[in-house]
Amino acid sequence: MLSLLCFLVSLLFLLLLPCLRPCFSAKGSLKDKKKIDEGTYVVGEEEPPKGLRRELMPRHVAVIMDGNRRWAKQAGLLTSQGYEAGAKRLIELAELCFKLGINTVSAFAFSTENWGRHKIEVKCLMYLFQRYLKSKIQFFQSKEIRVSVIGNLAKIPESLLGIITEIEDATKSYKKKHLILAIDYSGRFDILRACKSIVKKSEHGLIREKDVDETLFERELQTKCTEFPSPDLLIRTSGEQRISNFFLWQLAYTELFFSPVLWPDFDKDKLLDALASYQHRERRFGCQV
Amino acid sequence: MDLNQSIRLLSSWIGQIGDLGLNLLWRFIHIVVSLWYIVSGIFEAIESYAISLGLNKKYSSIDLEKLRCLAVVVDIEAVQDVAKVVELLQWLTTIGVKQVGLFDSQGLLKKSKDLILETVPGSMLLEEIGKDFSPDGKRIALEFISSSDNKEAVMKAANILLQRYLKSSHPENDKGENFFTESHLNEALGVVGENVHVPDLLLVYGPIRSHLGFPAWRLRYTEIVHMGTLNYMRYGSLLKAIHKFTGVHQNYGT
Repeated sequence: MLSLLCFLVSLLFLLLLPCLRPCFSAKGSLKDKKKIDEGTYVVGEEEPPKGLRRELMPRHVAVIMDGNRRWAKQAGLLTSQGYEAGAKRLIELAELCFKLGINTVSAFAFSTENWGRHKIEVKCLMYLFQRYLKSKIQFFQSKEIRVSVIGNLAKIPESLLGIITEIEDATKSYKKKHLILAIDYSGRFDILRACKSIVKKSEHGLIREKDVDETLFERELQTKCTEFPSPDLLIRTSGEQRISNFFLWQLAYTELFFSPVLWPDFDKDKLLDALASYQHRERRFGCQV
Repeated sequence: MDLNQSIRLLSSWIGQIGDLGLNLLWRFIHIVVSLWYIVSGIFEAIESYAISLGLNKKYSSIDLEKLRCLAVVVDIEAVQDVAKVVELLQWLTTIGVKQVGLFDSQGLLKKSKDLILETVPGSMLLEEIGKDFSPDGKRIALEFISSSDNKEAVMKAANILLQRYLKSSHPENDKGENFFTESHLNEALGVVGENVHVPDLLLVYGPIRSHLGFPAWRLRYTEIVHMGTLNYMRYGSLLKAIHKFTGVHQNYGT
């Protein structure tokens, strides 16, 4: 009953509002644009679409790119083509995120559990990473996007490791835009690795046992490469509603957005929906407001 | 001159009319979308009531074999109303869920532990039950969790492992591979008092779609469902979420 009443009131308001709008709006909007141009508009960055506010943009967006294989199957394509479409989508959306003022984008490209897939599929994935990263080095340099790769990396081919080192070195000086690729990554392994790192530092007298707290621990995780290690928004596609061992520690207060769409179909509009959903939430980080 | 002025005036009017028209179109689309959300909300509410009344045969019996452990995250403001939490637990008992972990970031539910155990029939503390817990009938094992069981617990467990490593006689080049495995951390978390029961399904009650700091170590493959606010919880929605979980198939990355 209440929602029906609200609907009727808002309907009346929405119908009457345009009639009350001043007729000389064209001139007014030109003035506003000039003000925007002088004050807040930054050359090279995209104006946020209607409904989104720049000051409420997340600083770090994480994505679990699920659904590439299903997408390929539905489209009658090879699995490798599904992965390629997924890679293209990631670059496209990362670029959009950076234009909207988001500093860090991280993507779960390959999990430790993925080694359990068919050998040929894994080999194909490693080759895809290698080829794609190599072809995009100049792109990342021209757009001033820093690229970091996190994960165990012990089992990945030498050739891919070489490309990773090359791309990290070529882009390490860029600060404003950061793309993090998690390859052979496991959230639990990240936590264990942090424990080992603390042990080593303690052995060398660099830290004392009583200094080990959450802040210090966070600095030992693999997300220490970014200024914003905890994502504000996590997007997982293809309808699965779990985090699958990705950023276990870091996701404590992250807004979780589960989309039913398969990753290669997760386009600009879907990303904007996710950002709009994020901006409408009242995040309290576990505290009472 | 007059002709130019007239043309300018006419084009200005046309511009303004066009502007108004586009605005009205935008408002109309807005109304349509709002109407769509209201209608779908009404349908959801009707479906939920139909499920509660047992009218939908699909939900009349749910196979809970896959759901060994369920966790509930409650937003800090909703926790003030313990009655709602008790009602939720009673529903879960009716459905047949045997083990529930209740989480709120500030630990307010831990403080109301006795009241909850008193009010929910057949409930008992998980830590008071042995490893071979297999409850019969309408009994439910409860665990009360807060943020201190998350990162703080991992810190303490890490310290335990650190102390063990330092006290042990190990070669200089030992990287600690034998001291820092998942099972070691599981054990250390147990020593600290953190239960490592991994929930199969996590229900989040609150305005925010976040698990609000639920113990990270446990969440590896947990299915997460946002249920809305606790004040507007519905039995039908709860049943639907659990039923949907029983149909989920996980690849575990392979």
